[in-house]
Amino acid sequence: METAALVVVLVIALALFFDFTNGFHDTANAMATPIATGALKPKTAVLLAALLNLVGAFLSTEVAKTVSGGIVNEGDIPHDLLPQLIFAGLIGAITWNMLTWLLGLPSSSSHALFGGLIGATLVGFGVAGINFGVVLSKVVLPALIAPLTAGLIAFAATKVAYGITRRYDGKPDGRSGFRWGQIFTSSMVALAHGTNDAQKTMGVITLALITVGWQTGDPDSEHFHNPEFWVIVACAFTIALGTYLGGWRIIRTLGKGLTEVKPAQGFAAESSTAATILASSAFGFALSTTQVASGSVIGSGLGRRGSVVRWRTAGRIAIGWLLTLPAAGAVGAFAALFVMWFQNWGVLIDAVIALVVIVGLFLRSRKNAVNSANAMSDVAESGHVVDLPDVPGPTRRTSRIELMRALERAERKADEAERAARRAKKLKKAGGTPGEIKAARKAAQRAAQKYAEAEQASQEWEALSASRRARAKLAEWDLAIDDQEGAR
Amino acid sequence: MSVEIDWTAFLLVFVAALVGAAAVVSLYALGLRMLVRAGRVPVVSPAEFTDAITVVSEKEIRHAAKQAAKAARKSPLTAGQKNLAFLAALACFVLCGAAVLGGILIIVIGH
Repeated sequence: METAALVVVLVIALALFFDFTNGFHDTANAMATPIATGALKPKTAVLLAALLNLVGAFLSTEVAKTVSGGIVNEGDIPHDLLPQLIFAGLIGAITWNMLTWLLGLPSSSSHALFGGLIGATLVGFGVAGINFGVVLSKVVLPALIAPLTAGLIAFAATKVAYGITRRYDGKPDGRSGFRWGQIFTSSMVALAHGTNDAQKTMGVITLALITVGWQTGDPDSEHFHNPEFWVIVACAFTIALGTYLGGWRIIRTLGKGLTEVKPAQGFAAESSTAATILASSAFGFALSTTQVASGSVIGSGLGRRGSVVRWRTAGRIAIGWLLTLPAAGAVGAFAALFVMWFQNWGVLIDAVIALVVIVGLFLRSRKNAVNSANAMSDVAESGHVVDLPDVPGPTRRTSRIELMRALERAERKADEAERAARRAKKLKKAGGTPGEIKAARKAAQRAAQKYAEAEQASQEWEALSASRRARAKLAEWDLAIDDQEGAR
Repeated sequence: MSVEIDWTAFLLVFVAALVGAAAVVSLYALGLRMLVRAGRVPVVSPAEFTDAITVVSEKEIRHAAKQAAKAARKSPLTAGQKNLAFLAALACFVLCGAAVLGGILIIVIGH
């Protein structure tokens, strides 16, 4: 029992370390778009994100219950080795997380955690140890559906934001006012992150406490899997600290990746991210906030006129996402093998290996000093999925309005030319001076020329609507050729 | 091993997120539109001109502020109509904030 207690203490420490790295790794994603559009200064954004993560962690416990009482069948398996296996799972998650972070691969802290936990449990207890129903419905399916959902919502929201604020008279549209709104929506994303991500660690700690009988309450009660208050407080403060200390370290890709995000688009993307995460948290779905935020950035990019998807980049990111769960699972399973072979000594071996990996990665990361001036985020990578034209073509309505204007102008100029020609004729008949007749003829010629120009403009506007699809197709081909050349 | 999946929950999450995001974005955008109508075009410069900011330069911001002031001067609306539009803008922003608070309250109460 004493060894088990020691292992649980180690699990709590490691889980809190994971929580810290989660804040370090993920939360800057919340602040990626407001910094890119200049809505917030990087340092202000990070401080705000840390505070809201802290608050968000207290809002709900549904996701924690999914982790502590759903993924692992802790009631049907012996508890002797479970704390050690949870420890091995955490080792898998942290190692994979730090590795992908250092290599700059797209990844997800949440999926790394679930992967590690599932891999270690599978090695320890086989398929009987895992509740595949919960894993499928609360982890795997949300992982696949949530980024798509967020993307679709962001696409619609971007169309709405641009549609409502669009002006056809060329006067200022006030869209830079979305910068104020972004302070608000990015805060919501940080709050949503705290609500969903801090709970995953709470769930793991609660699961460890249950295995050694330290969880208070009636085991048959539906509230038994609720995290203890001290667990909530510890996780909330740890994720907030991780966010504050490491947030600006991760915002680095912003300088290169999210330059295309405009305030209206960023506002729509963040609203979609926050709404998706908060709604999912209420239902206990354990999401990856990075993937949801990335889905929103892609969806909102596609919501802008003339945008085209770079399928190659999209595919690379999607593969990275799909790999996280099995890869972290493999590392977790590998760590669990030591536990199965050497029992408590296995825990020690895992701890030493993890320590070496973490210290090694930390020292390696020190080589590239990063600060608030050049920090980046994973979400920025997804910004490359959408190619946006420098100057988007006119909307259908603009084309229609311009066409009508050109037609009206052509009609007016035709009338003017006719009137001037008639005046010239009249002057000639009435015996006007040569100067007067010449001036009237010149006016008729000028009006006729203007008429021809207006007529040509109207034809161009008419042709433009027909050629819009053709131009979009050409842009797609150009991108495909670029991709092929890049591959070579 | 039977696996039961609650597809309704997925649908509910999608609908709730769509309604929430659409409400917030529509109300905020409508608020901005009303501000513009009231002759108070917001010109918000970036908080910091980091490497990322290629969207607007300081010169462009000055130009935008000039354009906004010109548009406000040429507005054909009466003072009363402008005040009404301003009130409508404020109402939109308040409703937008209320929609967010309402969403959070639903989650907290549900919890």
